[in-house]
Formats: sequence, C-alpha cells, structure tokens
Amino acid sequence: MNTSELPQHALSFDVGGTFTDFTLVDLASGSVIAEHKELTDAEDPSRSSLAGWRELIAQGALDPAALQLVVHATTLVTNAVIERKGARTAFLTTYGFRDLLTFGREQMYDIYDLFAPLPEPLVPDELRIEVDERVTRDGTVLKVLDVDRAVEAVQSMVNAGATAIAIGFLHSYLNPDHEARAAARISEAFPDLDLSLSCKVAPIIGEYERFSTTIADAYVKRLVRVAVGGLVESLHREGLAADCDVHIMTSSGGIVASSDAFQRPIRLLESGPAAGALAAAFHGKLAGRTNVLSLDMGGTTAKACLIEDGKAGLAPVLEAARVDRFKPGSGLPVIIPVVDLIEIGAGGGSIARVDEMGLLKVGPESAGAAPGPACYGLGGTLPTVTDANLILGYLSEDGFLGGRMELDRTAAANAIGGLAAQLGLDMEATAWGINRVANEAMAAAARIHAIEKNRDPRAFSLLAFGGAGPVHASAVARILGTREVIFPPGAGVASALGCLVAPLAIALARTLPGRLDTLDWEAVDQLYQEMETEAMSSLAAAGVARERVSMRRSVDLKLSGQYHELTVDFEDADHTGPRPRLEEDFVRLYSDRYGRMLTGLAIEATTWRLNATGPEGAVQLQAGEPGTADPSSALRETREARFLGRGDGLIEAPVYLRSSLRPGMALKGPAIVEEANATLVLQPGDAGVVNPYGAIVVAIGEPQ
Amino acid sequence: MTLTHLPERSTTPAWANDPVGLEIMWSRLMAIADEMWSTVLRTAVSSVIGAAQDFGCEILDAQGNGLAHASRSMPVFNLVMPVVTRAMLSRFPVEAMRPGDVYVTNDPWICAGHLDDITTVTPVFRNGRVAGFASTVAHATSIGGMLDRVRARDRLEEGLFIPPDYLYRQGEPNHTLFAMLEANVRSPEMVMTDVAAQVAANDVGVKRVNAFLDEYELDDLRELAAVVQQRSEQAMRRAIAAVPDGIYRNQEAVETPSGDVLLKATIIIDGEEIWVDYAGSAPEQPVGGINCTFTYTRAHTAYPLKCLLTPSIPSNEGCFKPMHISAPEGSILNAGPYASIGTRTKTGWHSHGLIFGALAKAMPVRVQAGNGLMHGLYAAGREVDGKPFTMYFFTGGGRGAGGGKPGLGYNCFPSSAGNIPVEVFESRVPILVEERSIMQGSGGSGALPGTPGHRFRLRRLPGSNADVRLYLHPDRLRHPAPGLFGGGNGNLTRVLLNERDITNGTGHMASGEVDLATDDDVYTSETAGGGGIGEVPDSPG
Repeated sequence: MNTSELPQHALSFDVGGTFTDFTLVDLASGSVIAEHKELTDAEDPSRSSLAGWRELIAQGALDPAALQLVVHATTLVTNAVIERKGARTAFLTTYGFRDLLTFGREQMYDIYDLFAPLPEPLVPDELRIEVDERVTRDGTVLKVLDVDRAVEAVQSMVNAGATAIAIGFLHSYLNPDHEARAAARISEAFPDLDLSLSCKVAPIIGEYERFSTTIADAYVKRLVRVAVGGLVESLHREGLAADCDVHIMTSSGGIVASSDAFQRPIRLLESGPAAGALAAAFHGKLAGRTNVLSLDMGGTTAKACLIEDGKAGLAPVLEAARVDRFKPGSGLPVIIPVVDLIEIGAGGGSIARVDEMGLLKVGPESAGAAPGPACYGLGGTLPTVTDANLILGYLSEDGFLGGRMELDRTAAANAIGGLAAQLGLDMEATAWGINRVANEAMAAAARIHAIEKNRDPRAFSLLAFGGAGPVHASAVARILGTREVIFPPGAGVASALGCLVAPLAIALARTLPGRLDTLDWEAVDQLYQEMETEAMSSLAAAGVARERVSMRRSVDLKLSGQYHELTVDFEDADHTGPRPRLEEDFVRLYSDRYGRMLTGLAIEATTWRLNATGPEGAVQLQAGEPGTADPSSALRETREARFLGRGDGLIEAPVYLRSSLRPGMALKGPAIVEEANATLVLQPGDAGVVNPYGAIVVAIGEPQ
Repeated sequence: MTLTHLPERSTTPAWANDPVGLEIMWSRLMAIADEMWSTVLRTAVSSVIGAAQDFGCEILDAQGNGLAHASRSMPVFNLVMPVVTRAMLSRFPVEAMRPGDVYVTNDPWICAGHLDDITTVTPVFRNGRVAGFASTVAHATSIGGMLDRVRARDRLEEGLFIPPDYLYRQGEPNHTLFAMLEANVRSPEMVMTDVAAQVAANDVGVKRVNAFLDEYELDDLRELAAVVQQRSEQAMRRAIAAVPDGIYRNQEAVETPSGDVLLKATIIIDGEEIWVDYAGSAPEQPVGGINCTFTYTRAHTAYPLKCLLTPSIPSNEGCFKPMHISAPEGSILNAGPYASIGTRTKTGWHSHGLIFGALAKAMPVRVQAGNGLMHGLYAAGREVDGKPFTMYFFTGGGRGAGGGKPGLGYNCFPSSAGNIPVEVFESRVPILVEERSIMQGSGGSGALPGTPGHRFRLRRLPGSNADVRLYLHPDRLRHPAPGLFGGGNGNLTRVLLNERDITNGTGHMASGEVDLATDDDVYTSETAGGGGIGEVPDSPG
C-alpha cells in the first residue's frame, strides 16, 4: 500500500454502559477529524459499534481504507460478569475442594451488617466436579492425576449443558503438569469446549483468587469471541483493510491483537478506566508534566489515578461484580494486572441526604442517567451534585451538553430545598455543602491513593476530566494542596483518545517463591524465558517486531512471612548482578513506605512480573501558535455563581466558550469555561493559560 | 489608641453545628484510621494478622474516648481500645507523657479478654500537650503458656501477662520488656515483627492526626469528639426508642470441659435506654479458659446491639452511652483476676445469640438465628530439620438466617476475620488439607434455612516426618446454633480422628490437643450449621 497517497487515520471506539464513543484522528496532522456518540445497544453492543462506523462513513469523515490503527475498548466483559450473561461454565478441581467457590474468604465486608450477601459464584453447584490428583507445597506430585476420570467428569458436565470449563488444581502455580495433561486430553475429546487453566490465566498462590479468575476467563470466552470476533469480521467486510487488525484495550492499559484477546479475555475487564488513565498521561506529557494525579469524575463515580514518569502504576488484583460497588470484599476477585486507580461513589448523579447523625452525606447512591439529577427533568426528584452545581451557578441552564440539554433550575431548587429544611440550612448553603462534601470525598480518595504509594499529592499536577471533574478540580486541588490543575481539551470524551495512545503491551505475572539469598536464579531465568516467549507471541500477533519491544521486569518482595509485597523493578535476571540491588531497592522502598525497616528477617520473592511494551500509539496532537492573551473574544456571558473565599453570596463571573479559546489566552478566576461535554470552574486567585494543545493549565490561587 | 475588637472565643466552635464541616472532619479521621489499618496489614508477618486480619485501629481523644475506627477493624477491638487508653491514663498521668512514648499491655481485664491480644497506644503530641491517641490491637501468634487451652486452670498457665507499661519511652525502647516478650513466646521473630507493625501503624496515625489538627487549627480532638459522640448518642437513642419498651429474657448453655453451664440475660428497654444484665449466669469456671473478663463481655454485648440498632453509623463512644451493661462479679462473664480465659470466645460469642433470641419478638426482622461460629485451629510443631512452626487456620461457620433472608454463606462473625487459603497454609506448615466441603443438610431447617456447616480434613504432609500437633477448642459440640420462630437448629460440631469422634459421642473434650503422629492419622472436623427461621412451609400435596 502506498501510504503517501492516502490519508492516514486512526479510529477508536469505546463501548461504555450508556454511550459508545468514537474518535477519528488524522495521524499526519494530529487533529481530531470526528467525534461521534452512539447509544450503546445493551443486547448486542457490536450493533451500535457498527452503526457508528456506518454513520461516520455516511458523514464522509471515515474512509476505511485510510485506517492505520483501530482500537476497541469495551465494557462487554465487565457487564457479562455483572449481568451473568456468560457461558454455562463448569469447574474441574482437586478432590475435596469443589465447594471452595462458595466459601470464598469467609469475611464480613461490612462489620455492622449481619446480612450482607456474598457474590454468587459464576459456576453453579451442579457444574463443579472433582478429580483425584494432588500436588504438594513444593510442587511434588503426591497423587497422580486420573486423566480418564477427568475426561469422564467433563463428559458429564457437557451432558449437563456446560460449554466452557475452568480447570483449577491446588499448587498448580508451582507445578502445572496436571492441569496441562487434563487440558490436552479434554481438548482432544471435546474440541468445541472453551478451556481456561489456572496455571495459565493466573499462576499465583492463593486458590480461591486463582480459581475465581480462571472461571471468569472461561465464562466470557465465547461471548468475547462471538461479539468482538464478529465485529472485527464485519469491519473487514465493510472496507477495513485485511492487514489492519482491530486492537483491543486491556485492564493493564496496553492493547493486544484481537486474536490474542480471545485467548485470555478476562484481561478485557475494566479496560475503560485504563483508557482514561492513558489519556491523562498523554495530556500530562503534552503539558510538560510527567507526574500527574488524574481526577476522572463522571455521572456515578470519581476515579483518581497517580501517574509517575508518564505511566500509571499497576495493581495485581481487582474485584468484579461487587454486590456493593464501593465495599472491598463484596466482589469476585480477579488476579490480573490492572491500572491502579481508586474509585469512589462521588459523581454528578450522586445523591445527597441527611444521615442518622444529622450529617450531610453525598453518595454513593446515584441517580445515574435515569432518572438522573432532578434538574434533568427526567423524573428524578432527589438532590444530586449536579443539582447543587446548577444552584451554585457553575452550570448553565441552557448550555449543558453544548446546548443540547436544558437544565431545570426550579426542579433542582425543589430537590435541594427539601434537604435544606432537614439540615436547617438555606438552599444555597445546602448546595454549597453538597459541593464541598463531594470535593472532600474526592480529595480524601486521591490522598489515600497517593499516600499508599508513599507519594505526596502536593508534588503532582491535578489533571481533571470526565463530565463532572472540571467543575470540582480547582477546589479539590486546594484541599490536596496541589498547585496546578490541567484541563485537557475534550474533557468529556478523554477515554476514546486514551485508546489511540495506548501501546501494544502485555503484562504477565507468575509465582515462584524463594528467599533472595538462596534463590534458584536458573529457575527465574527459565520463568522469564517462558514469559518473554508468551509475550512476544502475543505482540507478534499484533505485528510488533522483536526489536521494538521493551521488556520491563519487576518482582514482588516481602520480608519473610509477610502477606503483602512491594513491587521492585529490576534490570535483568543476571545471577549475580541484580540480587544486591534488589535487596537495596527493597530496603529503601520499605523504609520509605513504612517508616522503619525490620532487620533480621530474610527477604522473599513471590511473584515475578514482566511488562512487555511495544511502540506507543502514533497519535500526536498538533500544537497551535500562541496568540493574544486576551480571552474576551471567547466570552459568552457573565453569570452569578458562588466561589471559594468570596463570602456566602453569589458573585458575577465571566463565562467563556472553550471552543473559542485559543492558545495563549489567559484566564483569571473566578471564571467559568463551558465546553460540549463539561464545565470548568476557576476559583478566585486561579490563573490559567491555554497551552498550544488546547489544554488550560491553571496555577491554583491561595488556599481558601 | 485604637480599640481592637478581638473576636471572642466561643465555647462551641462554628463547625459543631455545621452538618457539612462535621461530616468532612469526621470522614478525615476515619480515613486516618483506615491508613493505620493498611499499615498493619502490609507489614505484619503472622497469618492471623496478615491473612485473617485479626486486628483493629482507632483514633481517640485525649481522654481516651473512641472517635474513629478503621472500617474493617475487628468490631470488639474497637470497643476495648478506649478502655485500654483510659487505663493507661489512670496509670501514667497525662502530664508525664512525652513525645515518642508508646504504651503497651495485653491485660485481658482491660484489653480483649485473653492474653493473646496486644494493645499499643501512642499519644499524639501538640504544643507539648497530649491532643489524642492512636491505638492498635492485634492478635499475637503466640503469647507463650500451654498450647492446650482446654486444660488451663488459671491465666498464669496461659502465657505472658504484660501489665500496662512503656514499650517506648521518648523514642527509647523498653529493652527489658522487649527481651521478656521475646523470651516468652513461640515464633518470637513473628511476634516481635507484628508488634513493630502495630507501632508503625500508630506512628502513621499520630503523624496524620497532627496534620489534621494543623489544617483545622485545633489544639486537640476533644471538641470534635464531644460533638461526634453526642450526635452518635442521639442516633442510638432514637433507634432504641423505636424498639418496644419491655423486659426481654433469654438463656443459652455454654459448653465447659466439666459440663454445661447457663448464661442468662435480662434486657430492659425503657424509652431511649437499654439495660443488659447477666445476673443468674454461671459462676467463674475453674478450668478450660472459658471465662470472660467484663471488658470482653461488655464489648460482645455492645457489638450485637450496635448491629441491631444502628448498623450504618460508624462506631464511637457515643453509640454506647445509652447502653448499661452489667454482669455479677465472679461470674463467668465477669471473671476474677486469675481466672483462665484462653478460650473465652466459647462463652463471649454466645452473647450474640442470647441477645438476638431475647429481642426476637421486639425486632423480628433484624435479628439473626444462631450462627455456626468460626472454627480456629492452631497448628504447632517442628519440621524434620528442627525448624519450629506455629500457625492458625480459621474457617467460618454457617450463618444463621435473618434479615428476611436464609443464611447467606459463610463468615467468621462475630469476628471480622477471614479464612486462610489452603495453599498459603500448606506452604508454611507440613500439613496436607484433603478436603473443605459443605455438609449439605446440616443447616437448620425453616422457611428461611440456615447455612450448612462444613467439613475439613487434614493430615500430616506425607513423607515430611514432621512433628505436628493441633490445638482446638471447638464450640457447639453439644448445643447447636438455635433456630428462631420455629426454625430448626443447625447440626452440631463433630471432631474426628481417623473417622472416630474424639469425644466418643459425648461431646466432651477433656483435652484440646490432637497429635498427628503418623502419616496415616487423619483429622476431620465438621463445623456447626446455622439456625433457620420460621417453620418449613407445608409442601404442596
């Protein structure tokens, strides 16, 4: 293909719960050619993806032949686990342990709620079958696997309607032989079954978590293959070049080839938030900041993610389908590397109420999109954060969603007035209180997230996006002591861009326990060779050449006996080189984090990690020439709003149209900026300037 | 000369009546307690803390009143940290406290009722004055003493008693105490590391509370505590007032090594206050560690009441002011200073069933039928190379029905601990777990059935030639988890060695030690099922 003749375009489409967002970018100019929103078809999300694709073609924006890169993020897996839409899945395990799925970790996740339910396992009782086999703590085979019995067991499960099988044997993270042998015979006998092995999906010690992950993987395999595979085929039929694959976003913030996603589809869980974090990192870099704290506030939740050296950290585990969304321990554990972020129930739709103590609470209950905040006029009557922001003058009654939606101030006032009467405050004070409590909740979450990594949030720039984030960011920054806030352009649809800047990447982890001073480094080498081969075959499937892949190694270390590790990066697995360095790095990290180092205990390694990363997405945004500092040409109106440090009343503030702001324009708080999908608030004392990429970089004024 | 109008310092700060400011400040303190909690979790080395999470953290005011605890703290620990802190204040005058001090005790009469729970208390200093405290309680993997708690005759046999003392004085370790502790426990490196985790967590709490006081320009936590406690108290009073006034009674049997004894509760609800009295309960028992100290009894009375009355309010001192709890001195629920107390859960955990049963008529939808209760095993011995090991293995019991629902699976209530993964357990001790399964049909029957109990079976790791002994003090060997409103009881607990009931069908265990002498010895326990609620509806036809 002669690429110099054709334009080069990249397309991302991000299937969310409500909308599917499309972003089309011209790779040569770095400009966004088109953005499009399509209502997500809950029954078959690929229908809405295809509809959007056709719409973009009909608009004349999309030329399939020009596409160099297509990236797809989807909530398909997350929703399938929540809504129980996966395959009828069976579980084959070691004799004596079929009920482990029901036991879970046997812990109360709310110490005062006697009746808090536990998540229902994905495998029904009748599809859990045991087979004779046993491996012990050092990988020794105590009882040889009865393969014939395993095949018989699977036959009975197939007869009972199972179309997917998860295999999980005890200690298979140390010795995968039994699982592998069972799998070989089963796939020979039942070639149509979807099979997931715990030694492959999550070779990590801890049987409940490992099995839970493996089952979830088997559970969504067919669904992902049919839905995503079908979509990819359709796109190729509709003009996408045969040599342009559709890449899929994963939870760890890397993209993989679609064929690779089918192999281990559980990695698609929570890929949307990962895209948001990547977008934050990208915008941070454009503004010259590699250390940013992203604040993504949407309708239901707010998410904070710490980005250091331009990269979001990874956490080793997440929970799917929580019974109570904001209570850890109430979901199904899934051990996959996932972008490390903290999520709390504070969004635009979060409902404010008075609790039994007479205190004002905001969230985690949310009015969501339906009925939505009272001011949407869609039937909601409860006061929400969005209603408060309307009363405070931050949101425009007629300019919401770029003028596509009118907000009903009377409805908001009625909703908040009711709450005000209960609190004994006036209506505006109540709205102000809702705004403040939401700010505090976000700041508290962001602070805990930073502190857990032993980072001082004051040293980071806050990067605010999501539909509701930019209203609150300047106030949240003051609580955190952060001195700068960056508002990227297109704050309402940042995730779709995140997909396009994602690198082709795969994150792998395996348990191989041992003390650093007596470690079998040859076994570690062997482990890394295997992981690198696996990673390379994934990346090769996506067309990445070996020499363009960077391999980053890290290992989870702890003091002998501890249950929680710190992850330490290291250069290579050379037998002599890294060991003293690993010890040194661990001691430093540990002392930083916990204040004091304990001596006399050996250092143990548990899980070895590999992050294999290909080149980053080719998207480069074009810089504009800074012009006049005077923003008056972008002034839409002035509006009364309440601001920090300006007493209890409303004061007049300028309202700018973001689409009319140009690089170089300077804004002074108090000020409001409106864009299609979000509203930005600059508090008094804030000084913002539009940078060449259209982001508004704000120096935060004095604390309130 | 200019007349300057100095603002008068009002007695009540502005935020005291501000439902917004107060919410923000209190949430901040709870977040600090959570951070302390995660510091312990991440730095402790024992399974009982690191995996099962048997510990708690709290922020207290300068008078030792609890203000905010970690959201996943062990519930009973939240109730004893204030008692310990006030006991420290009575022994170490506040004027004599210095920055860098850390106080410690495991005194079961002020702490959590057995010697195994160690409490550390660290004062928060501000402008040379004590502004509040950060405290942590955690279950030590060993405190010395005999392992077979079923045979203990007094607390002196049960391990080391640490009277309230300095652990650190102005930053200097109390070397004598450290040496005494280290010399008197099994797995000393594990115990000492866990204590260090507690101290580190308190350090974190102290640092963060100071930053909090800076931000709000407060001298101490007293005013905030008073306001929060007052509001919590009011909420509790309203909840009590909603329960019909009356006198409610119940009794339940407790299994002692020498036979059954009774616990009796009389609950009086009168307006906004509640009285719980245990008069008529059995006297202190001479053997078996089943006695409760009053601090422990009080905590296990207040906790179930809190669950029933105000489950959504974070616990603090104010919640408990409208509660009046008493037990006769010298009784099994208010034992004297030398009583054996090592298996006190076998008594204390029955306060929940007692209270739920007593209040069943008054609060029919909120009470819970009897729980199967958690089963704790303690494994100790030596690997073949001589290396000693000690480790707990917890499994939860079947839950009782309640709240309009059948028993919902398994948890360790009234402890908030979790179980320990089999792979983790096996990787640390030479034991092979052969089975963990549900015993179908062992839950109490009913319109809302209880959760069945479960079976677990284990043996010495074949070929390990290790010395392996188990210590246990199972409950519900003779008295099942009771059903409510006509619901059936759960099945009893059974403990088997080589498939034979080690009590020979009597339900009496004279010793809690089980020796796995050979590879062929198989230990099995079948834990009790939860109680059901309501009669089984007639099946159609």
